[in-house]
Parts: sequence; C-alpha cells; structure tokens
Amino acid sequence: MRTAIDTGGTFTDCVYLEQGQLRVLKLFSTPSDPSSAVLAALARIRAGSAVDVRHGTTIGTNAMLERRGARVAFVATAGCEDTIAIGRQTRSQLYDWFAPIPECIVPRELRFGVTERVSAEAEILRRPTEAELQELAEALRASNAQAAAVSLLFSFANPETEKRVEIALRPLGIPVSVSHRILPEFREYERASTTVVNAYLSPLMRRYLLDLEERVIAEHHGGGVDVMQSSGGIVSARVAADEPVRTVLSGPAGGVVGASRVASWAGFDRIIGFDMGGTSTDVFLADAKLGGVRRTRESVVADVPVSVPMLEIHTVGAGGGSIARFDQGGMLRVGPESAGADPGPICFGRGTMATVTDANLLLGRLDAGSFLGGSVPLHPDRAEQAMREQKGVLPTAEEFSAGILRVVETEMVKAIRVISVEQGYDPRDFTLVAFGGGGPLHACALARALRIPTVLVPAMPGALSALGILLADVVRDHARTVMLPGDSIIDLERRFAELEQSARSEFVTEGLVGEAEYSVDLRYAGQGYELNVAWSALAPMNSIAGFHSLHQQRYGFSEPQKRVQIVSLRLRMIAAAEPYVPDRSDPVAGDGSAARYAERPIYFDGRFVASRFYHRDQLTPGDAIEGPAMITEYTSATVLPSGCRAVVDGFGNLVITIGDAA
Amino acid sequence: MTAQSVDPVELAIYRSAVHSVAEEMGAALRRTALSPNIKERRDYSCAVFDSEARVIAMGDHMPVHLGSMPMSVEAAVAAMQFAPGDVVVLNDPYAGGTHLPDITMVLPIFLSVAAKPSFYVSTRAHHADVGGMFPGSMGPAREIFQEGIRIPPVRIVRGGTMDREMLDLILLNVRTPQEREGDLAAQIGACRVGERRILELVEKYGEERLGMLTDGLLEYSERLVRAELRQMPAGEFAAEDFLDDDGVDDKPIRIAVRMKLDPRAASIVVDFTGSSAQVRGSVNAVRAITLSACFYILRCLLGHDAPATAGILRPLTLVTPPGSVVDARPPAPVAGANVETSQRIVDVLMRALAQAVPDRVPSASAGTMSNLTIGGIDPRSGQPFTYYETAAGGMGARPRLDGISGVQTHMTNSLNTPIEALEYAYPFRVRRYAYRSSSGGAGRFRGGDGLIREIELLAPAQVTLLAERRKFQPWGLQGGEAGAPGRATLTRAITGEVTELPGKCSVHVDAGDVLRIETPGGGGWGALAEGADGGR
Repeated sequence: MRTAIDTGGTFTDCVYLEQGQLRVLKLFSTPSDPSSAVLAALARIRAGSAVDVRHGTTIGTNAMLERRGARVAFVATAGCEDTIAIGRQTRSQLYDWFAPIPECIVPRELRFGVTERVSAEAEILRRPTEAELQELAEALRASNAQAAAVSLLFSFANPETEKRVEIALRPLGIPVSVSHRILPEFREYERASTTVVNAYLSPLMRRYLLDLEERVIAEHHGGGVDVMQSSGGIVSARVAADEPVRTVLSGPAGGVVGASRVASWAGFDRIIGFDMGGTSTDVFLADAKLGGVRRTRESVVADVPVSVPMLEIHTVGAGGGSIARFDQGGMLRVGPESAGADPGPICFGRGTMATVTDANLLLGRLDAGSFLGGSVPLHPDRAEQAMREQKGVLPTAEEFSAGILRVVETEMVKAIRVISVEQGYDPRDFTLVAFGGGGPLHACALARALRIPTVLVPAMPGALSALGILLADVVRDHARTVMLPGDSIIDLERRFAELEQSARSEFVTEGLVGEAEYSVDLRYAGQGYELNVAWSALAPMNSIAGFHSLHQQRYGFSEPQKRVQIVSLRLRMIAAAEPYVPDRSDPVAGDGSAARYAERPIYFDGRFVASRFYHRDQLTPGDAIEGPAMITEYTSATVLPSGCRAVVDGFGNLVITIGDAA
Repeated sequence: MTAQSVDPVELAIYRSAVHSVAEEMGAALRRTALSPNIKERRDYSCAVFDSEARVIAMGDHMPVHLGSMPMSVEAAVAAMQFAPGDVVVLNDPYAGGTHLPDITMVLPIFLSVAAKPSFYVSTRAHHADVGGMFPGSMGPAREIFQEGIRIPPVRIVRGGTMDREMLDLILLNVRTPQEREGDLAAQIGACRVGERRILELVEKYGEERLGMLTDGLLEYSERLVRAELRQMPAGEFAAEDFLDDDGVDDKPIRIAVRMKLDPRAASIVVDFTGSSAQVRGSVNAVRAITLSACFYILRCLLGHDAPATAGILRPLTLVTPPGSVVDARPPAPVAGANVETSQRIVDVLMRALAQAVPDRVPSASAGTMSNLTIGGIDPRSGQPFTYYETAAGGMGARPRLDGISGVQTHMTNSLNTPIEALEYAYPFRVRRYAYRSSSGGAGRFRGGDGLIREIELLAPAQVTLLAERRKFQPWGLQGGEAGAPGRATLTRAITGEVTELPGKCSVHVDAGDVLRIETPGGGGWGALAEGADGGR
C-alpha cells in the first residue's frame, strides 16, 4: 500500500491510496518518539504487509534549531580550519551593537587541519603523508567526536586527498561526511557548512530512520521507508541516513509539492503558494512550464548555510500569532514577536497582547463555533476589551483590528513581491494558492493588492504536505563544478557520462529505474552568480541560447557577445511516481444554500457588512458563492469579500474569481 | 496638512512600500552587476528621495552610504536642470561623492505635468577600478587628480538614451572598462526598477496623498530619534582619537569631538572643532562621510528596523571645520577616508557617547577595513586584473557581552570573496585564513579577535595596502584592555626575508612572495577581576 506520513508539530498526517481512493488520517504527534505516531497510523489504516511508507520528518530541522546534533569534528586544509566559523565575515544586524555572538556548530577544539593543497587547476600541490593522516586520526579519536566532516580546498576538482582522509578516519567508527560527495561544488564555506550539517545530523537521523525502517519491516513483513528531501524528491531511508542534510526541510517541501499538484489538477500551472501559520508564513512560486517550483542552493537553516538543492521557499516572521503594538514614533507594528502557542492570542484565554488572530475575531472573520471544530473555546469579550485598551490613537477597536490586518497583509504582499516581481515575474500571471490556518483568511485581500485574478483554496488543506510526499517522484541530484569556457559546451558528453554512470549504478542498487535530466550552471565570465539551464547532447548550444534568454528574463538584460563560463554540471535522476489523478465529480450548478448556516456581519473596508456563512464540507461541486461570505472548515476559513465569487470545482477546491470591491 | 493626519496604519503601510522600493532596486543591482565587489561582496546602496532630495527610504546595505548618498542627490539637484528620462552620474567627492570608486547614479522621476521632479531614486556602487595611479584606485595618492577619473554631476542618460560619448570618456579612463560598463548599466537598470515602483505608488495613492505620507514618514523618524535623545543625560561630552598617519609622514592625525546632548530640546550638537587640518595622504574625509558617521550612530540608538530617513538627522547640528580632516577641501586626496577615517569618526563618537550612557556603548572595534588592492597581469590569461577586498577584524566587547571575532563592524558589512572564487579569478594562493587568537582586548568582557590572511602571489604584482590601528590600538572601556594592533608582513620568495609593511604603502612583489595581514582585535570592556586569567 502506498502511504505518506508527515510528522508535524501538533499532528501526524497520513495520506494513503486505498483502491484508487485518496484517504486521510490525522493523529496527534508523539514528540518524544515521533516514530510511534507513524507506526500507530500504519496500524490504524491496516497497512498490511509490504507497505511502502513515504515519510516527512522535522527531526533534522528541530535538531538544527535546538542545536542538538552530534559533536562534530571538522577537517580542513591546514590554515583554513577557522573558515567554518568565520563564514562570510558579515554581521546579521547592521545597526545592533548588542547582537548575540553567533555560535559555530564546530567548536574551536574540534577543528583540524591536514597539510595538503589542490590548485584551482585540480593539480595536487601537496599530499599528506601517511604518518600525517595517522596523526590526524589519532587527534580526532582523542577529541571524542561523534561524527566528522571533511572539506578540503578544491576537493571537487580533485578528490584524491579527501578520499585518503576518509579512509584514514574509517577505523574511528564514526560517520564521516566528505565534501566532494555531499556537495562537489566551489565556494569552500558553503560546501564545508553543508558537509558539517550533514555530519551534525548524521548519527541522530541514521538512528531514527534505520530504526523506523526496521520496525516497519518487522511489523509489516517487508516493505520499506522512503524520505522526502528538501528538494521535493523522494530518497530511500538508507540514502537519507547517509545524507541527512538533503532532508532537513522535508515538511515544507511536501506542502509545496502538494499545493502544486492540486493546482495542476484544477488546471492552474502557474501558481504562487501562500501558507500562513501561527508564527510564520511561507510563500513560493511555481511555473509548471519551467519545471515547477524553483530550486535554490542558497538556503539557510537555523542560521547555517545549506547548499544542497531545496525548493525555493521564502519565509517571513508574521502569522496569526504575530503581536501588534505601537512603537515610540507612533507607528503600528505587527510582529516579528509572536504570542506563539503559549500564551497565544488574547481570545484563546491567556494572552494579553493584541494579535492578528484577535483582529480577525473582532472583525467577524473567525467563527468561534467552528474554529478547530469548536475544540478551542474562544473568548471574544476578553479580546474586545483588551483591543479597546490597546487601540492607541485609533478611534475604535475595530479600526485597530482592521489596521493590524492591513499591516500584516502588507508584509505578505511584500513577501510575494520578493519571489515574483524581484525575480522578473508578474504576479498577475499567476494563481494564488492559499493554505495553512491563515492563508484562506487573507488570500482575497492579497490577491486584490497584487492584482492576482484567481485564488485557489485546495481541498484537504490540512493534509497537503502528506499528499505532496505521497505523489512526489524519486529524485537524486548530482553535481560537479568544472569551471570551463563556454565553448566546451559541445564536449561535455564525456563528463556527463561519468556523472551518469555512478548515478545510474546507485539507482540500480536501490532497485529503481529512472530518467536522467542534464543541466548546466552558466554565468558571464566574471560574474559571481550562475543560472541553471537544461543541457542536451543533441543540441548543446541551446543551453547557451537558453542562458541568454533566462538572463534577460530574470535580470532585464543579456549580452550574447560576452564570454560565457560553465561553472557546474548537474544531473537529476528521476524515477517518476506512479501517476495519480483523483476522481472528478461533475459540477452541478448550485448556490450552496444547503451548506449555509448563518448570516453575520464581517468588517470590510471600514464597516460591518452582513455576510453569509457556509460549512465547506457541505458544499458540492458546482456550488457558487458570492461575497461577502465566509466558508468555514476544520483548520481554516475562507473570507470572501464582496465582488469575489467562489466556485467549488470538481475536486472540491474553491476557485475564487477576484472582482473589484462593490 | 500636518503629519498628524497620517494615521499609524497608513504610515506603517507606506513605510513598508517605500522601503521595498529601495530593496527591490538593491536586488536588481546585485543580480545584474558584473563585478564580484558588487555581486559577492554587496558593496552598494540604493535609496529613494522626495522632491526636496530628502532621503525617505534606504535599503539595508552599506552604513557608510547613509548620510553621504543624500549629499550626492543634493549635489546633482543643485548642478542640474533635470529633464524626464535623464540619469545623472557622479563620483566627485567635492561635489556630492565620498571617494572616487563610489559611483552614484541619480534618476529624477517626473509626474505628468510637473516642471520639476517629484522623486529621485539613486544607486551607489563601489567600482573595482576608476583609473588613477594605482590599480583599484585606492592607493596612497597625494592629490585627488592621482586617484582616478573625477566625474562631476553630468548626464549619462539623456531623454532615455545612453550618452555613449560620456560613457566612452569614463571607460577610457579605467583599467577594466568592460566590467565597469556592465556595472554602470546595472546601476541604471536598478534606478529604472525604482522609477517603475515609485510610479506604481503614485498610481495607488495619488500625488497629494503621497506628499502627506512622505512628510508623515520623515516626522515619524524624527519622533523616534527625539524620543531617544530625551532619555539622554544633559551635558557636553568630549573625546578624541587618532589615525596612525597619512602614509606620507609619521604624524598622528587627531579627530576630536564635543558632543552636546540636550534632552529637553531633544537635540544633539556634534562639533569636530579641534580636529587636525587636512593632510597630504589620502585619509581626508569630505563632510558627507562625517555626516554618515553621525547618521550611523543615531540609527544604532534606534530599534534595528527603524527606517533610515532624513528625519533622523533633524535633531542633529553638525559642525565641521572647513579644511580639516573631517571636512576636506580640494585637491586633497580622499580615497582612504571612506573606509578608514569613517571608522575612526565612529570610534570618536562612540567614545564620547560612552561617557553619557556607559551601559549602551561597546568598546572600540577593529577600526580599519584593512584594504588590500592587488593589480597585475594574470599569466593564465595574459589579461590584466585588479583585485580589491577588505578584511574584517575584532568587534569591541559590549557591556554584558564579549565582542564577535572576525566580523565586519560599523561602516561596512561587505562579504569576503571565497578562497576558491579568488583562486579561479586571480593568480593567488591563499595559504591561511584564520582567527588571530588572543588579539581581542582582555577585560570582564573580551574583545573579539581579528583575522589572519596569508596570500601567496603566483605572478609579479603591485600590492597596495591601506590599513589603520597600527599605533593607536582599539581602546577598551571601563578598564577593559585595548585590542592588538594590526600588522602586515611580506616574505620574499627568493631571499626568505620577512619585512614588516607599514599600514599604508604600495609595493611591487614577485611570484612566490607571501603577504600576511593580521587585523586588529576589538577592545575589552570592564576591568578584569583580581586574579582572573586575562579573560581568555
């Protein structure tokens, strides 16, 4: 049985296919041992034997955030031991004299040097002697390191010495991560940092994943566990145990893939995703014609650069729990401080500071009865009184609330501009896909501000991440920095063949059959950043042409007469997931009156307007609802301002057309 | 209409919108520029100005540009009769610039029928070479004419069309014209991004409302800074500090300040009377730099996300003696002041401020950007190259906190160039890049350590150094010890001889020679307890 289980902070979501039908199960997470909720879910759904479990986990992310990884030793080219701590020598806050001291995950006593050197031209200038390597191994042994990361200068160009170091460290019996395998690309700090994160997470993740797989196999007589990577592709638990750095953001990646799939079933290929939670909001942009969500290799996880491919997700520190206050100059500020889960918003009963959630409640945008199925009692009177006390110079608590929403929505608009306008995309060409607890509440307002014509609120918003994991392809990314002149684009075949040979043999070991996708990172000679374009042996020059036009699109100019440099080769091995398209019901035109349960005032543009309230789970395909209205569901609610019209499509999604305000 | 009619919500939304214009300009510039100095090290700034050339938004880029970019725009406005579609370029420190490598572009934005611009957008970037007697244009010159091409405010784009003749004139005077052309084009492109975004705001708000919001934003900044000043103790606080020398003779250069705080008027007077007269070497600061240092200090007193607008400077009265090292007059050379004297001016201001509010001010940080320029011919390609980079040092210890080691402080925050990027691009081999242990000043809280960087040259080259804090170490406060002074040595390949290099020099080196730079540590804070181990 094909099953996906995504472990979140509160819920463990399980999505599975039973006789071609998609089903969802939600259990409470078990933070002390996340695998027990996973196994419980499998038992509940009667997964039976030979179950194929795909898993999204936050263990890696949490270990990074809480700095609970292994005691990791770092081995560098002698003279460069400190580079892992120096980083790029910048400070994170320009104008804060009291910024905390950043703590490197490799403390000084665990940084080791090896006397060696490779040149930029891949020539070995100095080899360490066997005695020196033995000495290094002894020093590491004495340091009580639990894992080691080896990253030597230009090792991607010539890995010989790194391999020798790896062999010398093998007798220590600790996991050793080497940079030419984890990230064979230039820029030593980012490569070293990625390798160190891998080593840091390695003992923990290895234990967790291999143990989980063993238990699944034992309880279900075979089968196996696969893991979601931050890049949006699946790998086996064994590979993930060796390269945990690739799975460090597996949860958000599932959400992105899930949202993109649901949108594409509904006929929307160009989307901007908007996932608003309690303390933060994720946004991303996906264009199916350009291969879906862009991947980036410039991510930072818990203040540490991680340069393996990750889906490009932009996060801002604003969500439902963000606190509103007036600053010394009298300006209304919302966030980044958050009331979090404890004490939470005022209306949850314990908080005392006005939050976005309180503002939504005061303006009639939260239905106390249906909020989390009524399981969390809300305290509107408490919120109203506190908001009146905190409204500052604003005339009413309602105007204060409306102000809070406008400010937080401005931050969201800004976040979406960063991933669209700043990258050369016009948001008007996209559909806004809203999910998370707060996404559907604010989506129509954002769409109006950005002139996005359509909003999609997916069916199953609470299980999008697990759904994405279930439907993702198996993917392995390989890369190598080559630094060649652009003319060499026509004879990369041999280099790609080498890369592909090892990639294929690894796939075969895993029992997979797949396709290879080739691409190259190009730049104009002298530039500091690269663009990734497809490459094919049949028409290699197309890569160069593609580079110029992508440069034009992204940066507004191109210089076809200028020299191009080939920085890195990239190879993706893809084993496509079994295709799945959900059943589509034929829409029957209706007005949703069967799902209507109330008429209450909602505050829009300066006044309360009588609005109809609907239960989402009672709507059927073809139902059309005109704003002003609110459509409530278990984990969220969709606010429909006047001028907007929502239609339930054949998959149960809400497709909202954004019109002008009446 | 007064700013009181701008409500707290509108203000927040406008602030965010106009700030994102500056940020989007910065993103465009970073993405389109050619040179590593702009792309990788991010040595640039972008800003938006109102019709009276008052800055209303600046991206969080380079602090040293805070006060000096507005002066560029003022100079361009004073010199020019703008027409729609124009872009003005300038770098003359004596007409709105700071030092010649910083080239500024100003684009006026005209609304429908207006006779004069309603807004200006501006970009500034540090160019790796603008000609002159030393590759990299940062060398020890004696007059500004030796430092590179000097561009007064002139049009580089007229009516939307690039003035090719003006561009050719500039490009003929620099060592790496292709790279310059790419970077200049990127700056113009970023200005156009800013223009588009401002026009969108005009469409959204209407011109009149926009004017009110702009006034409201400036008054908001003023209120923020005055609220801080009201909490300061009343009094006059004097301090001095010194630059080691000007690279010509050995004489220390005095920078003196009297800072008068008046909490009742919520005002501050900063008077540099008593500072040394301008000198022959290149460390003379034009007034724009001194103003930037004051802007930076005021900005640091506010919350970290306060907008950097002209309103911040309203409570400030700045007095700089003309012809002094903090307000130089032509033809004094100025290349080093942007990077070195600017840091020292900040140090002096902090030293004065520490007397007023001791628990809010850190000890001196490295106080030098340890500028290194190397030029020559790359034997691998036969092409000339120019490399420029600054090196971080130790941050001064803070009340309650140690300083950070090996980090850019105060007026700069540029990134380092990765060793592997460096060795691909230049005939160098980096032999060492490490913390300089024990260089931070001891104290109850310890100053951050400086850095060591060793570079082996693989081809003959001209090496130019511009560094400070060799004689006058980064000071500690409240009994904390000073940070270690900076140092540089050159090891000759043929003789094995090791020579100490002075802070400011330009020397010819041969293939195989090794240059070693050690940057200063930060000062300590607070006396060590009796019998403590030195704070290490």
